[in-house]
This record gives sequence, structure tokens and C-alpha cells, in this order.
Amino acid sequence: MFEHFAAGARTAVASAVDEASLRGDRRIGTEHLLLGVLHEPGSVRALGTDLTTARAALDALDRSALAVVGIDVRGVERPPVPASRKRTPFTSGARAVFPRALAETRKARSRRIAPEHLLLALLDCERPDPAADLLAELGIDRAAARERIRETGR
Amino acid sequence: METGDLSARLRSHDPSVGLRAVGALHRLAEQVEAAAVARAREQGWSWEQIGDALGVSRQSVHAKHGK
Repeated sequence: MFEHFAAGARTAVASAVDEASLRGDRRIGTEHLLLGVLHEPGSVRALGTDLTTARAALDALDRSALAVVGIDVRGVERPPVPASRKRTPFTSGARAVFPRALAETRKARSRRIAPEHLLLALLDCERPDPAADLLAELGIDRAAARERIRETGR
Repeated sequence: METGDLSARLRSHDPSVGLRAVGALHRLAEQVEAAAVARAREQGWSWEQIGDALGVSRQSVHAKHGK
């Protein structure tokens, strides 16, 4: 699959892996892929949000979920967790993004999967996919984002 | 907090909230563990003592947190 990836998309996936390990997550999910593509300026423009905002939004989702079970983590010391030596696998939701990104690549008659094709595939994620929750938390207008990607593609 | 209160709240929410909370709790446990182990080492605890406190073997705590 990854042989179809252009350099930018490879970087986005590598950044997604880093984002998962930064958070101490055991799987690379669609929310990490979304953070991964936000390492790239084209995606920042298309979504109208940046990496820092998106990371904070994901933390906010976690904090409100913890608040439901009565845990308040504000002010708790949270040092980075030692990286696991096991390989971090992709979630099934994240694996499903790649063929959809490839379909977007073909639709755009491109030869290689670029970050915007990954982003278009991520914009199609529906709840309960974590990327959908993150897009909602960020208040992103998906139709407008798709439109901006198509405009720059020309 | 009352347990009845907690289960009522979890029932009233969408399951994705409870599932997300589990993931966040797991990460929180790992973070608290990393901080507590570092502090115990600073204060001269042996890997054996830390392992006993965590209910795991000296080897596994050292493999995870030893540099």
C-alpha cells in the first residue's frame, strides 16, 4: 500500500505514528492520521485549523470523557510515557482510510497518494470513528473543506 | 461519588464517551506510573520494591522504565 504514497503522504503517516506515541496511545487511529496530515500546510489551509488547536481539541474530548466518570485531570502531572518497544498497529478504522485515499487519488487522476487524498478520505469518516469526533469538536465544515481541497487541486 | 450516580451518568451518555474514558484512563495510569516510578528511583527505591508496589516483577518494571 505505502508504495503508492507520495513523500508528503508518507510524512503525514509517519507524523500520525509520532502523534499516537506522544499521546501514549497503543494504536494509530484516524484521529492520529488527522493530526498527521495537519503537519502539512496544505491541510491546515483546507481545514482552517492547525495542529496545536487539533491536539488541544483531542485533549478536550478526553477530559470531558474522564469528567463523565468523575475524574478531573486538570493540574495532574502527566509526564511522557516511555515508548513501547512493540510496533504500534493501525486501528481497523485507520486501515480503512488507505483504500479510500487511493480511490480519491484515482478520482483526481493522480499517480500517487498525496496528503490531500488522505485528508479527503478522513473527511468521509463517520461517527463513531474518532476522526469524526475530532472534526466535530473542531467545528470543521466538511463540505467547505472538501471544496477548498478541490480548488487547490486545480 | 456514588456508584449509582456514575452508572446513571454512563447510561445517559453515548457509549463512545465511556469507551473514550477507558482509553484516557489507560493513558492516565501509564503517565501516573511513569511519574511515580521516576520519583521512587530518585528516592532510592530498588526495582524490586517498585515492582512489589505495582504488583509486577522487578524485571518487567525495569524493562519498562529502566534506561
